Amino acid sequence: MLEALLQFRHRRFRRDLSAYLDNMLSERARLRLEVHLDSCQACRQELAELRSAVEALGSLPMAEVPRSFALAGAAVAEVRPRPAVRRLEFGLRLATATAAFALALVVIGDFTGLPGGGKEEKELAAPVPAAEDRAQAVQGEEGLLAATPAATGTPAPTEAAPAETPAGVEAPPVGTPLPAEGEAPVETPSAAETPAGVEAPPVGTPLPVEGEAPAETPSAAETPVTPPSGYAEVQPPTPAVGAGAPEEGTPEKEATERAGVEEKAEAGAAYGVAAEEEGGGLSREEVVRWLEVGLGAGTGALVLVWAFVRFERRIGNRP
Amino acid sequence: MRVYQRQVYNLCLRMLGSAAAEDAAQEAFIAAYRRLSSFRGGSFRAWLLRIAANICFDELRRHRSRPAASLEAALEGGSPEDVPSQSAGPEEEALRRELARHLQQGLATVPADQRLAIILRDIHGLSYEELTEALGCSLGTVKSRIARGRARMREYLMARRELLPRQFRLKE
Repeated sequence: MLEALLQFRHRRFRRDLSAYLDNMLSERARLRLEVHLDSCQACRQELAELRSAVEALGSLPMAEVPRSFALAGAAVAEVRPRPAVRRLEFGLRLATATAAFALALVVIGDFTGLPGGGKEEKELAAPVPAAEDRAQAVQGEEGLLAATPAATGTPAPTEAAPAETPAGVEAPPVGTPLPAEGEAPVETPSAAETPAGVEAPPVGTPLPVEGEAPAETPSAAETPVTPPSGYAEVQPPTPAVGAGAPEEGTPEKEATERAGVEEKAEAGAAYGVAAEEEGGGLSREEVVRWLEVGLGAGTGALVLVWAFVRFERRIGNRP
Repeated sequence: MRVYQRQVYNLCLRMLGSAAAEDAAQEAFIAAYRRLSSFRGGSFRAWLLRIAANICFDELRRHRSRPAASLEAALEGGSPEDVPSQSAGPEEEALRRELARHLQQGLATVPADQRLAIILRDIHGLSYEELTEALGCSLGTVKSRIARGRARMREYLMARRELLPRQFRLKE
Protein backbone atom coordinates (compact mmCIF):
# COMPACT_ATOMS: atom_id res chain seq x y z
CA MET A 1 0.00 0.00 0.00
CA LEU A 2 2.74 2.36 1.05
CA GLU A 3 4.73 1.18 -1.94
CA ALA A 4 1.88 2.08 -4.31
CA LEU A 5 1.55 5.52 -2.76
CA LEU A 6 5.27 6.14 -3.08
CA GLN A 7 5.14 4.98 -6.69
CA PHE A 8 2.30 7.39 -7.40
CA ARG A 9 4.19 10.27 -5.82
CA HIS A 10 7.30 9.31 -7.69
CA ARG A 11 5.47 9.42 -11.01
CA ARG A 12 4.09 12.83 -10.19
CA PHE A 13 7.56 14.14 -9.37
CA ARG A 14 8.90 12.74 -12.60
CA ARG A 15 6.34 14.79 -14.47
CA ASP A 16 7.60 17.92 -12.73
CA LEU A 17 11.24 17.41 -13.66
CA SER A 18 10.99 19.21 -16.99
CA ALA A 19 9.34 22.28 -15.47
CA TYR A 20 11.88 22.19 -12.66
CA LEU A 21 14.68 22.46 -15.21
CA ASP A 22 13.08 25.62 -16.57
CA ASN A 23 12.38 26.95 -13.10
CA MET A 24 8.68 26.91 -13.90
CA LEU A 25 7.46 25.21 -10.71
CA SER A 26 5.75 27.04 -7.92
CA GLU A 27 7.81 27.59 -4.81
CA ARG A 28 5.96 24.85 -2.92
CA ALA A 29 6.19 22.32 -5.73
CA ARG A 30 9.86 23.06 -6.18
CA LEU A 31 10.62 22.51 -2.49
CA ARG A 32 8.64 19.27 -2.44
CA LEU A 33 10.48 18.02 -5.53
CA GLU A 34 13.88 18.92 -4.08
CA VAL A 35 13.07 17.01 -0.91
CA HIS A 36 12.06 14.05 -3.06
CA LEU A 37 15.21 14.32 -5.18
CA ASP A 38 17.32 14.07 -2.04
CA SER A 39 15.87 10.69 -1.31
CA CYS A 40 15.26 9.33 -4.83
CA GLN A 41 18.25 8.21 -6.86
CA ALA A 42 16.13 7.28 -9.91
CA CYS A 43 14.68 10.77 -10.11
CA ARG A 44 18.11 12.35 -9.75
CA GLN A 45 19.35 10.17 -12.56
CA GLU A 46 16.40 11.06 -14.73
CA LEU A 47 16.82 14.74 -14.02
CA ALA A 48 20.47 14.55 -15.05
CA GLU A 49 19.59 12.75 -18.28
CA LEU A 50 16.86 15.19 -19.04
CA ARG A 51 19.20 18.09 -18.46
CA SER A 52 21.70 16.43 -20.73
CA ALA A 53 19.12 16.01 -23.50
CA VAL A 54 18.07 19.64 -23.17
CA GLU A 55 21.68 20.78 -23.32
CA ALA A 56 22.26 18.63 -26.37
CA LEU A 57 19.30 20.22 -28.10
CA GLY A 58 20.50 23.65 -27.04
CA SER A 59 23.91 22.93 -28.50
CA LEU A 60 22.43 22.52 -31.96
CA PRO A 61 23.65 25.49 -33.96
CA MET A 62 21.21 27.50 -35.97
CA ALA A 63 21.69 26.70 -39.62
CA GLU A 64 22.41 29.52 -42.03
CA VAL A 65 19.61 30.49 -44.33
CA PRO A 66 20.33 29.02 -47.79
CA ARG A 67 18.76 32.00 -49.51
CA SER A 68 16.79 35.09 -48.65
CA PHE A 69 13.11 34.56 -47.99
CA ALA A 70 12.38 38.26 -48.22
CA LEU A 71 9.55 38.46 -50.66
CA ALA A 72 10.96 39.03 -54.10
CA GLY A 73 9.11 40.87 -56.84
CA ALA A 74 7.48 37.75 -58.21
CA ALA A 75 6.33 36.55 -54.82
CA VAL A 76 4.88 39.95 -53.93
CA ALA A 77 3.09 40.10 -57.25
CA GLU A 78 1.63 36.72 -56.51
CA VAL A 79 0.45 37.90 -53.13
CA ARG A 80 -0.86 41.30 -54.15
CA PRO A 81 -1.86 41.93 -57.75
CA ARG A 82 -0.90 45.27 -59.27
CA PRO A 83 -3.25 48.12 -58.33
CA ALA A 84 -4.50 48.51 -61.89
CA VAL A 85 -5.39 44.85 -62.09
CA ARG A 86 -7.06 45.02 -58.70
CA ARG A 87 -9.06 48.05 -59.77
CA LEU A 88 -10.11 46.38 -63.00
CA GLU A 89 -11.05 43.26 -61.14
CA PHE A 90 -13.00 45.22 -58.57
CA GLY A 91 -14.72 47.11 -61.38
CA LEU A 92 -15.74 43.91 -63.09
CA ARG A 93 -16.98 42.43 -59.84
CA LEU A 94 -18.94 45.60 -59.21
CA ALA A 95 -20.24 45.40 -62.75
CA THR A 96 -21.38 41.85 -62.17
CA ALA A 97 -23.57 42.81 -59.29
CA THR A 98 -24.88 45.96 -60.98
CA ALA A 99 -25.43 44.21 -64.29
CA ALA A 100 -27.17 41.25 -62.72
CA PHE A 101 -29.45 43.60 -60.81
CA ALA A 102 -30.08 45.77 -63.86
CA LEU A 103 -30.68 42.77 -66.10
CA ALA A 104 -33.26 41.48 -63.67
CA LEU A 105 -35.01 44.84 -63.78
CA VAL A 106 -34.78 44.99 -67.56
CA VAL A 107 -36.25 41.53 -67.99
CA ILE A 108 -39.01 42.22 -65.49
CA GLY A 109 -39.64 45.60 -67.08
CA ASP A 110 -39.67 44.13 -70.55
CA PHE A 111 -42.18 41.44 -69.68
CA THR A 112 -44.49 43.47 -67.47
CA GLY A 113 -43.97 46.77 -69.28
CA LEU A 114 -44.58 45.67 -72.87
CA PRO A 115 -48.19 44.55 -72.75
CA GLY A 116 -49.17 46.52 -69.66
CA GLY A 117 -47.38 49.78 -70.34
CA GLY A 118 -49.87 51.30 -72.71
CA LYS A 119 -52.93 50.19 -70.79
CA GLU A 120 -51.60 51.45 -67.52
CA GLU A 121 -50.87 54.77 -69.01
CA LYS A 122 -54.28 54.99 -70.52
CA GLU A 123 -55.96 54.26 -67.23
CA LEU A 124 -53.71 56.49 -65.30
CA ALA A 125 -53.72 59.33 -67.71
CA ALA A 126 -57.52 59.35 -67.83
CA PRO A 127 -58.04 60.78 -64.33
CA VAL A 128 -55.99 63.80 -65.26
CA PRO A 129 -58.72 66.05 -66.60
CA ALA A 130 -56.60 68.22 -68.85
CA ALA A 131 -55.08 65.22 -70.62
CA GLU A 132 -58.30 63.68 -71.99
CA ASP A 133 -57.29 64.00 -75.63
CA ARG A 134 -53.82 62.87 -74.77
CA ALA A 135 -55.18 59.64 -73.35
CA GLN A 136 -57.10 59.04 -76.56
CA ALA A 137 -53.98 59.59 -78.53
CA VAL A 138 -52.27 57.06 -76.37
CA GLN A 139 -55.10 54.61 -77.05
CA GLY A 140 -54.56 55.17 -80.74
CA GLU A 141 -50.95 54.47 -80.58
CA GLU A 142 -50.99 51.72 -77.99
CA GLY A 143 -47.26 51.50 -78.62
CA LEU A 144 -45.01 49.98 -76.11
CA LEU A 145 -43.09 52.83 -74.65
CA ALA A 146 -43.87 55.28 -77.41
CA ALA A 147 -46.61 56.54 -75.14
CA THR A 148 -44.95 59.77 -74.29
CA PRO A 149 -44.17 61.03 -77.75
CA ALA A 150 -47.80 60.26 -78.52
CA ALA A 151 -48.91 62.02 -75.37
CA THR A 152 -48.59 65.31 -77.11
CA GLY A 153 -51.23 64.27 -79.64
CA THR A 154 -50.58 67.11 -82.03
CA PRO A 155 -48.44 66.47 -85.09
CA ALA A 156 -45.91 69.16 -84.31
CA PRO A 157 -44.79 67.71 -80.98
CA THR A 158 -44.74 64.22 -82.49
CA GLU A 159 -42.15 65.50 -84.84
CA ALA A 160 -40.32 67.04 -81.99
CA ALA A 161 -40.48 63.88 -79.97
CA PRO A 162 -38.40 61.67 -82.25
CA ALA A 163 -35.84 64.38 -82.32
CA GLU A 164 -35.60 64.23 -78.55
CA THR A 165 -36.05 60.56 -77.84
CA PRO A 166 -32.81 59.35 -79.39
CA ALA A 167 -30.93 61.62 -77.05
CA GLY A 168 -32.69 60.29 -73.98
CA VAL A 169 -34.13 56.83 -74.17
CA GLU A 170 -35.59 57.64 -70.79
CA ALA A 171 -37.93 60.15 -72.33
CA PRO A 172 -41.06 58.00 -72.15
CA PRO A 173 -40.73 57.01 -68.52
CA VAL A 174 -39.96 60.53 -67.50
CA GLY A 175 -43.37 61.55 -68.70
CA THR A 176 -45.21 58.51 -67.44
CA PRO A 177 -44.44 58.51 -63.73
CA LEU A 178 -46.28 61.74 -63.19
CA PRO A 179 -49.78 60.35 -62.91
CA ALA A 180 -48.53 57.10 -61.46
CA GLU A 181 -46.83 58.32 -58.33
CA GLY A 182 -46.88 55.05 -56.38
CA GLU A 183 -47.84 52.64 -59.15
CA ALA A 184 -45.32 49.86 -59.45
CA PRO A 185 -45.85 48.85 -63.09
CA VAL A 186 -45.30 52.35 -64.36
CA GLU A 187 -42.23 52.72 -62.31
CA THR A 188 -40.80 49.53 -63.61
CA PRO A 189 -40.12 50.74 -67.14
CA SER A 190 -38.36 53.79 -65.81
CA ALA A 191 -36.25 51.53 -63.67
CA ALA A 192 -35.82 49.26 -66.62
CA GLU A 193 -34.53 52.07 -68.72
CA THR A 194 -32.09 53.54 -66.28
CA PRO A 195 -30.00 50.40 -66.04
CA ALA A 196 -29.19 50.86 -69.70
CA GLY A 197 -27.32 53.93 -68.59
CA VAL A 198 -25.93 52.16 -65.57
CA GLU A 199 -24.98 49.23 -67.68
CA ALA A 200 -22.75 50.94 -70.18
CA PRO A 201 -19.81 51.45 -67.82
CA PRO A 202 -19.29 47.83 -66.84
CA VAL A 203 -18.50 46.88 -70.39
CA GLY A 204 -15.98 49.61 -70.81
CA THR A 205 -13.59 50.51 -68.07
CA PRO A 206 -15.06 49.92 -64.65
CA LEU A 207 -14.29 53.29 -63.18
CA PRO A 208 -16.34 55.42 -65.58
CA VAL A 209 -19.41 54.37 -63.57
CA GLU A 210 -19.22 57.71 -61.85
CA GLY A 211 -18.44 59.54 -65.06
CA GLU A 212 -21.08 58.11 -67.28
CA ALA A 213 -24.04 58.14 -64.97
CA PRO A 214 -24.06 61.92 -64.70
CA ALA A 215 -23.54 62.15 -68.46
CA GLU A 216 -26.75 60.22 -68.86
CA THR A 217 -28.70 62.32 -66.43
CA PRO A 218 -28.44 65.62 -68.30
CA SER A 219 -29.76 64.00 -71.47
CA ALA A 220 -32.75 62.83 -69.51
CA ALA A 221 -33.02 66.18 -67.86
CA GLU A 222 -33.41 67.69 -71.31
CA THR A 223 -36.62 65.84 -71.92
CA PRO A 224 -38.78 67.70 -69.45
CA VAL A 225 -37.80 70.86 -71.23
CA THR A 226 -39.17 69.74 -74.61
CA PRO A 227 -42.69 68.46 -73.87
CA PRO A 228 -43.91 71.79 -72.49
CA SER A 229 -44.93 72.76 -76.03
CA GLY A 230 -47.95 70.47 -75.73
CA TYR A 231 -49.02 70.79 -72.13
CA ALA A 232 -46.83 73.38 -70.68
CA GLU A 233 -49.57 75.05 -68.62
CA VAL A 234 -51.19 71.90 -67.41
CA GLN A 235 -48.37 69.90 -65.98
CA PRO A 236 -45.03 71.56 -66.20
CA PRO A 237 -44.44 71.37 -62.46
CA THR A 238 -45.62 67.78 -62.20
CA PRO A 239 -43.33 66.34 -64.84
CA ALA A 240 -40.52 68.27 -63.32
CA VAL A 241 -41.22 66.59 -60.01
CA GLY A 242 -41.95 63.30 -61.66
CA ALA A 243 -38.81 63.45 -63.70
CA GLY A 244 -36.76 64.84 -60.89
CA ALA A 245 -37.67 62.20 -58.39
CA PRO A 246 -36.63 59.14 -60.34
CA GLU A 247 -33.57 60.83 -61.73
CA GLU A 248 -32.41 61.85 -58.32
CA GLY A 249 -33.35 58.47 -57.04
CA THR A 250 -31.27 56.67 -59.59
CA PRO A 251 -27.87 57.99 -58.59
CA GLU A 252 -28.84 57.45 -55.00
CA LYS A 253 -29.83 53.90 -55.72
CA GLU A 254 -26.68 53.49 -57.69
CA ALA A 255 -24.65 54.81 -54.83
CA THR A 256 -26.26 52.51 -52.31
CA GLU A 257 -25.90 49.68 -54.73
CA ARG A 258 -22.27 50.45 -55.18
CA ALA A 259 -21.79 50.67 -51.44
CA GLY A 260 -23.49 47.33 -51.11
CA VAL A 261 -21.29 45.80 -53.72
CA GLU A 262 -18.24 47.26 -52.05
CA GLU A 263 -19.32 45.64 -48.84
CA LYS A 264 -19.84 42.46 -50.71
CA ALA A 265 -16.43 42.73 -52.27
CA GLU A 266 -14.86 43.41 -48.91
CA ALA A 267 -16.72 40.52 -47.42
CA GLY A 268 -15.52 38.45 -50.32
CA ALA A 269 -11.97 39.57 -49.74
CA ALA A 270 -12.31 38.81 -46.06
CA TYR A 271 -13.70 35.43 -46.91
CA GLY A 272 -10.77 34.91 -49.22
CA VAL A 273 -8.32 35.69 -46.50
CA ALA A 274 -10.17 33.44 -44.09
CA ALA A 275 -10.20 30.67 -46.63
CA GLU A 276 -6.52 31.15 -47.30
CA GLU A 277 -5.84 31.06 -43.61
CA GLU A 278 -7.60 27.78 -43.41
CA GLY A 279 -5.42 26.72 -46.26
CA GLY A 280 -8.12 24.83 -48.14
CA GLY A 281 -10.41 27.33 -49.84
CA LEU A 282 -7.96 29.12 -52.05
CA SER A 283 -8.98 27.48 -55.28
CA ARG A 284 -12.67 27.98 -54.52
CA GLU A 285 -12.04 31.68 -54.00
CA GLU A 286 -10.23 31.83 -57.32
CA VAL A 287 -13.09 30.12 -59.08
CA VAL A 288 -15.63 32.49 -57.57
CA ARG A 289 -13.53 35.47 -58.53
CA TRP A 290 -13.15 34.46 -62.14
CA LEU A 291 -16.79 33.50 -62.33
CA GLU A 292 -17.70 36.96 -61.14
CA VAL A 293 -15.33 38.67 -63.51
CA GLY A 294 -16.55 36.63 -66.45
CA LEU A 295 -20.16 37.06 -65.53
CA GLY A 296 -19.66 40.80 -65.20
CA ALA A 297 -18.12 41.13 -68.63
CA GLY A 298 -20.70 38.79 -70.19
CA THR A 299 -23.73 40.43 -68.63
CA GLY A 300 -22.44 43.87 -69.47
CA ALA A 301 -22.02 42.90 -73.11
CA LEU A 302 -25.44 41.25 -73.16
CA VAL A 303 -27.15 44.33 -71.80
CA LEU A 304 -25.32 46.54 -74.25
CA VAL A 305 -26.47 44.35 -77.12
CA TRP A 306 -29.98 44.36 -75.74
CA ALA A 307 -29.95 48.16 -75.43
CA PHE A 308 -28.62 48.49 -78.97
CA VAL A 309 -31.22 46.15 -80.47
CA ARG A 310 -33.95 47.84 -78.52
CA PHE A 311 -32.83 51.23 -79.69
CA GLU A 312 -32.66 50.12 -83.31
CA ARG A 313 -36.13 48.61 -83.16
CA ARG A 314 -37.49 51.79 -81.67
CA ILE A 315 -36.03 53.81 -84.49
CA GLY A 316 -37.35 51.33 -87.04
CA ASN A 317 -40.88 51.38 -85.66
CA ARG A 318 -41.04 55.06 -85.67
CA PRO A 319 -42.95 56.49 -88.66
CA MET B 1 14.37 40.47 -40.87
CA ARG B 2 17.43 38.32 -41.32
CA VAL B 3 17.12 37.06 -37.75
CA TYR B 4 13.51 36.09 -38.36
CA GLN B 5 14.42 34.36 -41.61
CA ARG B 6 16.92 32.26 -39.74
CA GLN B 7 14.47 31.39 -37.00
CA VAL B 8 11.72 30.43 -39.44
CA TYR B 9 14.07 28.43 -41.62
CA ASN B 10 15.53 26.57 -38.64
CA LEU B 11 12.11 25.74 -37.27
CA CYS B 12 11.12 24.28 -40.64
CA LEU B 13 14.43 22.48 -40.83
CA ARG B 14 13.94 20.79 -37.47
CA MET B 15 10.30 20.03 -38.10
CA LEU B 16 10.55 18.78 -41.68
CA GLY B 17 14.18 18.06 -42.49
CA SER B 18 16.32 19.93 -44.98
CA ALA B 19 14.51 18.75 -48.10
CA ALA B 20 11.24 20.52 -47.42
CA ALA B 21 12.47 23.27 -45.09
CA GLU B 22 13.29 25.84 -47.74
CA ASP B 23 9.91 25.73 -49.44
CA ALA B 24 8.09 25.71 -46.12
CA ALA B 25 10.04 28.73 -44.90
CA GLN B 26 9.24 30.63 -48.09
CA GLU B 27 5.61 29.68 -47.79
CA ALA B 28 5.62 30.85 -44.17
CA PHE B 29 6.90 34.27 -45.17
CA ILE B 30 4.30 34.62 -47.89
CA ALA B 31 1.58 33.59 -45.43
CA ALA B 32 2.95 36.04 -42.85
CA TYR B 33 2.94 38.82 -45.45
CA ARG B 34 -0.67 38.09 -46.27
CA ARG B 35 -1.75 38.05 -42.65
CA LEU B 36 0.36 40.95 -41.50
CA SER B 37 -2.78 42.93 -40.74
CA SER B 38 -3.95 40.21 -38.35
CA PHE B 39 -0.92 40.69 -36.10
CA ARG B 40 -2.35 42.00 -32.83
CA GLY B 41 0.74 42.91 -30.91
CA GLY B 42 2.59 40.62 -28.53
CA SER B 43 5.70 38.81 -29.60
CA PHE B 44 6.25 39.14 -33.33
CA ARG B 45 8.67 36.25 -33.24
CA ALA B 46 6.05 34.00 -31.62
CA TRP B 47 3.44 35.11 -34.16
CA LEU B 48 5.77 34.44 -37.08
CA LEU B 49 6.89 31.08 -35.71
CA ARG B 50 3.29 30.07 -35.19
CA ILE B 51 2.58 30.71 -38.87
CA ALA B 52 5.68 28.71 -39.79
CA ALA B 53 4.58 25.92 -37.45
CA ASN B 54 1.17 25.78 -39.12
CA ILE B 55 2.83 25.52 -42.52
CA CYS B 56 4.95 22.68 -41.17
CA PHE B 57 1.88 20.87 -39.83
CA ASP B 58 0.20 21.26 -43.24
CA GLU B 59 3.27 19.81 -44.88
CA LEU B 60 3.33 16.91 -42.40
CA ARG B 61 -0.33 16.21 -43.12
CA ARG B 62 0.36 16.22 -46.84
CA HIS B 63 3.14 13.75 -46.32
CA ARG B 64 0.92 11.55 -44.20
CA SER B 65 -1.65 11.41 -46.99
CA ARG B 66 1.08 10.27 -49.36
CA PRO B 67 2.58 7.26 -47.62
CA ALA B 68 4.93 6.57 -50.51
CA ALA B 69 7.12 9.46 -49.46
CA SER B 70 8.12 8.69 -45.92
CA LEU B 71 8.69 11.82 -43.92
CA GLU B 72 10.48 9.84 -41.26
CA ALA B 73 13.14 8.96 -43.77
CA ALA B 74 13.25 12.52 -45.10
CA LEU B 75 13.53 13.88 -41.57
CA GLU B 76 16.19 11.45 -40.46
CA GLY B 77 18.20 12.03 -43.57
CA GLY B 78 17.54 15.73 -43.31
CA SER B 79 20.40 16.54 -41.03
CA PRO B 80 21.53 19.96 -42.13
CA GLU B 81 24.91 19.93 -43.78
CA ASP B 82 25.15 23.68 -43.91
CA VAL B 83 25.53 24.14 -40.18
CA PRO B 84 28.35 26.60 -39.68
CA SER B 85 31.52 25.22 -38.25
CA GLN B 86 32.21 27.23 -35.15
CA SER B 87 34.64 24.77 -33.65
CA ALA B 88 38.34 24.89 -34.32
CA GLY B 89 39.33 21.28 -34.84
CA PRO B 90 37.97 18.96 -37.50
CA GLU B 91 37.46 16.23 -34.90
CA GLU B 92 35.20 18.37 -32.81
CA GLU B 93 33.36 19.40 -35.92
CA ALA B 94 32.83 15.75 -36.81
CA LEU B 95 31.50 15.03 -33.32
CA ARG B 96 29.17 17.97 -33.52
CA ARG B 97 27.82 16.75 -36.81
CA GLU B 98 27.33 13.31 -35.40
CA LEU B 99 25.41 14.69 -32.44
CA ALA B 100 23.32 16.89 -34.73
CA ARG B 101 22.43 13.87 -36.82
CA HIS B 102 21.35 11.90 -33.77
CA LEU B 103 19.34 14.77 -32.44
CA GLN B 104 17.57 15.21 -35.76
CA GLN B 105 16.78 11.53 -35.87
CA GLY B 106 15.60 11.68 -32.27
CA LEU B 107 13.36 14.63 -33.04
CA ALA B 108 11.82 12.65 -35.88
CA THR B 109 10.58 10.07 -33.37
CA VAL B 110 8.79 12.65 -31.24
CA PRO B 111 5.13 13.41 -32.10
CA ALA B 112 4.83 16.65 -34.07
CA ASP B 113 3.14 18.78 -31.39
CA GLN B 114 5.71 17.78 -28.76
CA ARG B 115 8.51 18.16 -31.28
CA LEU B 116 7.40 21.70 -32.06
CA ALA B 117 7.29 22.51 -28.34
CA ILE B 118 10.81 21.29 -27.57
CA ILE B 119 12.26 22.82 -30.74
CA LEU B 120 10.85 26.21 -29.83
CA ARG B 121 11.84 25.90 -26.18
CA ASP B 122 15.23 24.19 -26.28
CA ILE B 123 16.60 25.22 -29.66
CA HIS B 124 14.97 28.60 -30.22
CA GLY B 125 14.87 29.47 -26.55
CA LEU B 126 11.34 30.87 -26.47
CA SER B 127 9.96 31.75 -23.06
CA TYR B 128 6.91 29.90 -21.81
CA GLU B 129 4.85 33.00 -22.38
CA GLU B 130 5.97 33.16 -26.00
CA LEU B 131 5.30 29.46 -26.29
CA THR B 132 1.67 29.88 -25.31
CA GLU B 133 1.40 32.39 -28.17
CA ALA B 134 3.35 30.34 -30.67
CA LEU B 135 1.53 27.10 -29.89
CA GLY B 136 -1.80 28.75 -29.24
CA CYS B 137 -2.48 26.77 -26.09
CA SER B 138 -2.47 27.15 -22.33
CA LEU B 139 0.58 27.20 -20.12
CA GLY B 140 -0.37 23.81 -18.69
CA THR B 141 -0.49 22.27 -22.17
CA VAL B 142 2.83 23.88 -23.07
CA LYS B 143 4.48 22.43 -19.97
CA SER B 144 3.01 19.03 -20.60
CA ARG B 145 4.11 18.93 -24.26
CA ILE B 146 7.60 20.01 -23.37
CA ALA B 147 7.82 17.44 -20.59
CA ARG B 148 6.64 14.59 -22.80
CA GLY B 149 8.78 15.68 -25.74
CA ARG B 150 11.88 15.91 -23.57
CA ALA B 151 11.15 12.55 -22.00
CA ARG B 152 11.05 10.98 -25.46
CA MET B 153 14.24 12.68 -26.50
CA ARG B 154 15.89 11.51 -23.29
CA GLU B 155 14.83 7.93 -23.96
CA TYR B 156 16.06 8.11 -27.55
CA LEU B 157 19.43 9.57 -26.63
CA MET B 158 19.98 7.30 -23.64
CA ALA B 159 19.32 4.26 -25.79
CA ARG B 160 22.20 5.43 -27.99
CA ARG B 161 24.41 6.94 -25.38
CA GLU B 162 27.49 5.12 -26.56
CA LEU B 163 27.13 6.87 -29.92
CA LEU B 164 27.00 10.30 -28.41
CA PRO B 165 29.94 12.62 -27.88
CA ARG B 166 31.65 12.24 -24.55
CA GLN B 167 30.19 15.29 -22.88
CA PHE B 168 26.67 13.93 -23.33
CA ARG B 169 27.48 10.52 -21.96
CA LEU B 170 26.25 10.19 -18.43
CA LYS B 171 27.90 8.08 -15.82
CA GLU B 172 25.77 5.17 -14.77
